[in-house]
Amino acid sequence: MAKKVIIVDDSRAIVATAELALEEMINSGVIEFKSYLNPLDLLGALQSGAESFDLLISDVNMPQMNGLELARAIKADGRFTTKPILILTTESSNEMKMAGKEIGVTGWMVKPFTDDKLVKSIKMVLGV
Amino acid sequence: MERNMNRIGVSAYIRKPIEKEVIRFKLESFASLIQGHERHYKTLTPKEAINPFNTDIRHFKTTFSIPDAEGMMDFGIWILSRSQNFRESTCAKADTLVELFYELMRRNCRNGEPLEIIIEESFEEMFVTFRCEQPLILSPRITVLTHELGDECIVQAKEVHARLGMQEEFVSPPQNIPSAPDKAAIPESFRLPESEVPQPCFKTPEEPVPIKEIRVIDSDEHAILRRSFTDKTTAADYIRDIGGDVLDEILDLAGLDTEWGESLGKIQDSPSAETITDFANTTLGAYVHAINGLFEFTALAYALSALSGALRENARRIADDPAMLKKLLLFLEHLGHDLSSWRGHLFEQQDAQDIHYLDSSFFSSCMQIEGIITDKQIAAEDDDNDMEFF
Repeated sequence: MAKKVIIVDDSRAIVATAELALEEMINSGVIEFKSYLNPLDLLGALQSGAESFDLLISDVNMPQMNGLELARAIKADGRFTTKPILILTTESSNEMKMAGKEIGVTGWMVKPFTDDKLVKSIKMVLGV
Repeated sequence: MERNMNRIGVSAYIRKPIEKEVIRFKLESFASLIQGHERHYKTLTPKEAINPFNTDIRHFKTTFSIPDAEGMMDFGIWILSRSQNFRESTCAKADTLVELFYELMRRNCRNGEPLEIIIEESFEEMFVTFRCEQPLILSPRITVLTHELGDECIVQAKEVHARLGMQEEFVSPPQNIPSAPDKAAIPESFRLPESEVPQPCFKTPEEPVPIKEIRVIDSDEHAILRRSFTDKTTAADYIRDIGGDVLDEILDLAGLDTEWGESLGKIQDSPSAETITDFANTTLGAYVHAINGLFEFTALAYALSALSGALRENARRIADDPAMLKKLLLFLEHLGHDLSSWRGHLFEQQDAQDIHYLDSSFFSSCMQIEGIITDKQIAAEDDDNDMEFF
């Protein structure tokens, strides 16, 4: 069964780049891909039970809500505490990474990313 | 004479008239040396050949379990001391190989999970395999080092194979594996059940992972990408501080949304270097001009300007490549939406918590587009922290 990967990033260009990088995994049925441009929309959908995921990939700097705030809110919900969250951002300071680690995110990837790197990270986290 | 012979490497020097006892002692001594060598190494069976370069499978195997940098150092010392027996060019390759494996270890040694390095060797050649349980994570430096090793190195999903001292081109799987005997010729009482019959497992190597040319991010670009604003300014606060004239100019950019779409339509309808260059100069140029007027957003202006330059430089090859053009149009359309959305969050709705939320992300998108149109991998060579798992 395909694992559901959700990416949340306010940039459509980044979402499109990620989708293109994951094209083979999507087409072969390894993953199901969904994107949100607004973290608040995703949070609402998760909280109402309309949405779920096997892996969430989130940007940090977004206009209405910071990606780390999103991760904290999701991890606080018992249904998603153990679900992996990868951060995909241009932020690379140790302080930010430490903050992410404390919240419980699984990993940190820095933009710009290569297709290969994104695919490998997802495979590693999902074990596919 | 005996000294000269020893210098050129003869194993023994026996004087005439021959004494039977002396010959017997010498032979016993050689036999003991060979046995010692065989005890030291494990003998490979045909099923166990790991490295695709290893076409002569009657060799020995040594396995290093590498849990950390210290383990890698032990391996480095071992292989460098062994490679001194090889020719000079091989010694240089061994240096590169050790650096490559060290980089691979840094990227891939995680959660205390040891990595394996397997050496298959003969008296003349070494076949070195780096093996990881998880798919390998590469870095720009790793790519550069594998380039240096050229045909002597194969990168696969979880393994990197290399050979030292080989002089021929890569050869096909070994021909010396004996074919299975005719079943009928084996008495029934000696036949194994089908499920227990050992199968040869020498695999044709997978296609090497294609390695793209790298465009290294320069220091200015790096500074913009990694810029972090500790004091966040909200859009509402920012708008209160800027003058009305500047705000009007930015709001006028709304008209450019239509122009953006129309320009992309023109490229799609008549793909040519001219239409692409026109988009770069006119549409992107107008954005650069307006954003340049805002001191806070020079990074965005820089990103657009760099993208405009990359489009102009590569206009011809983009126009000649329909697949690349299709991708580019898709990304430019999304980039237009991103800019439009940025304008909305900052100047219209004024609901952005941080006015710089788009800066580095937008620059990174522009770089990824540059990577697509130049078919290069955009990466920071010294960025050791581009991927980390907790």
